[in-house]
Amino acid sequence: MSGAGDREAVFPTRQSLGLMKSKLKGAETGHSLLKRKSEALTKYYPRSILKPVTNAPLGDFEVGKSINPLYSSINPATEITRRIDEAKRKMGRVMQIAAFSLAEVTYAVGGDIGYQIQESAKQARFRVRTKQENVSGVFLPQFESYTTEGNNDFGLTGLGKGGQQVQRCRETYARAVETLVELASLQTAFVILDEVIKVVNRRVNAIEHVIIPRTENTIKYINSELDELDREEFYRLKKVKNNKLRDTEAKDKEAASKKRDSDKENVADDPGATDILGEQEDQDVIF
Amino acid sequence: MEGLFFNVNGGYIEGIVRGYRNTLLTGQNYGNLVQCETIDDVKLQLSPAYGDFLASLPPNPSTSSLANKTTDKLVAEFRYLQAQAVGTLAKFMEYLTYSYMIDNVALLITGTLHERDTRELLERCHPLGWFETMPVLCVATNIEELYNSVLIETPLAPYFKGSLSHQDLDELNIEIIRNTLYKNYLEDFYRFVTEHPELRGTPTSEVMSEVLEFEADRRAINITINSFGTELSKQDRKKLYPEFGGLYPEGTLMLSRADDLEGVSLAVSGNHDYKSYFDQVGMSGGASGVGNMSGGGGAESKSLEDMFYQKEMEISKTAFTRQFTHAVIYAWVKLREQEIRNITWIAECIAQNQKERIGNYISVF
Repeated sequence: MSGAGDREAVFPTRQSLGLMKSKLKGAETGHSLLKRKSEALTKYYPRSILKPVTNAPLGDFEVGKSINPLYSSINPATEITRRIDEAKRKMGRVMQIAAFSLAEVTYAVGGDIGYQIQESAKQARFRVRTKQENVSGVFLPQFESYTTEGNNDFGLTGLGKGGQQVQRCRETYARAVETLVELASLQTAFVILDEVIKVVNRRVNAIEHVIIPRTENTIKYINSELDELDREEFYRLKKVKNNKLRDTEAKDKEAASKKRDSDKENVADDPGATDILGEQEDQDVIF
Repeated sequence: MEGLFFNVNGGYIEGIVRGYRNTLLTGQNYGNLVQCETIDDVKLQLSPAYGDFLASLPPNPSTSSLANKTTDKLVAEFRYLQAQAVGTLAKFMEYLTYSYMIDNVALLITGTLHERDTRELLERCHPLGWFETMPVLCVATNIEELYNSVLIETPLAPYFKGSLSHQDLDELNIEIIRNTLYKNYLEDFYRFVTEHPELRGTPTSEVMSEVLEFEADRRAINITINSFGTELSKQDRKKLYPEFGGLYPEGTLMLSRADDLEGVSLAVSGNHDYKSYFDQVGMSGGASGVGNMSGGGGAESKSLEDMFYQKEMEISKTAFTRQFTHAVIYAWVKLREQEIRNITWIAECIAQNQKERIGNYISVF
């Protein structure tokens, strides 16, 4: 079993077992952390776990393309897609009205005022500022639009005729740009989140499906190898013991037989020795 | 009496203009145009009236190219008439072109002020306002040069003289310059039709003074309404009002003091027509109600500018009931311009698929 699975090339020693165990623990902690991060991000942007990661969302994201109904169909309750969907629909409406108000200007003024408007605009009235939002360690840029008050460079355009239309057209387009900024903010967040979620999910999956099993396999391998070694050792010891036993037995036997031989010699050579002792016991020694 | 010799010089042109007038689109034509689904349909519907000029357009042309081509036809016909005109009529037609010249010169001044290459701007100029020395305007690189050596040579020089210095060109808003010029032009035109020995007391004088007085009033009212909420002071505003017309002098004086729409309606209350316009527009709409076809909300009700256009068209239409007059040419040009605007509007509505307000064109035939 330990040979079949993917494992790391380590020597099955107790030290590396310890290393692997701490590695597994680290991997599990990391996995749970990343999983939580991914979930937090997915709350903002749920798509990458619902769809395969290879499904690039950028393709649907050309400004000016028709609204993709996919966003609403996936999960209408999720935050960012719903907001993007809303912003896109709003943009569609607002741009339509804006284009139409330009038609009204053309009708009222009876000519092209584009050049004049372009030239008389000196300062930006509509500005955008950016700030960062931190969503579980991911910095999302947020665009915020604001208008500088009292800056009306072409307030007099169309003074003779059509001035009202020009002003209204400007307001309509200002609203349209506002919607565009909102949409840009959402889409940038979407793209960044998409990227990050892809990376995080890849890591989660890598940890879950590669690193953890591999580490577990390695641990199992090391364990089995160590067991094997233990068993070998045990057997060896047993064998050694047996051998020793056998050797001892043999030695004993040899010794015994030797002894027996020497006893016989003793008995033969000095038969009265015990008697001497026996006699000494019997004797009273008086000093 | 005036009819006795009019036809010696003006008869042919008058005949031609009446012919042109009959080719203007009628209510029925507009009815057909409104039914169109695509720009190509519009093109097809227009082909009896504009055939040659629209032929070169690609399929599904843009509305602006459609407008350009229809303007081309107006210009071509106008040029033809101008080539035939003699005497006071020639002068009269020159006066007609001056209003376009003012727009063109204003455009070129803007270009020079911002140090752009004014040569590109020549293409944007209205062809009717073209004059021979106009390309020379592009030679000037700064505004003083433009004023001293170039503008003096243009037909508009008298309108600059006395009311605008070269410092003014630099400092004033281009819209104020344009409107000052336009005021001087209207006054000059008015003097021409009422005081010129050959025109005084003729039907031309009668019709044109009515038309010009209306134009002066309209400008005064528009300038007042459009200047609310801008930095234009009341004194400056007063200088832009033409010094004739139905409202002059009491009405314009009151206009110059008006602070809001009610002040304007009070100022014009002496004139029955304008009063009824203001009553129709309704004061409830506020500033947004007076604009042309106020967006969204007031789709059905006509706006003040709509009504001015309507009135202008009616005056132009009645001009054709008179004979032996140059005014028919003016009326025809105005009717034609309105027609181009109508076509552009209808085409725009069709192109943008906003049919609800397609009926906002003005047709008087």
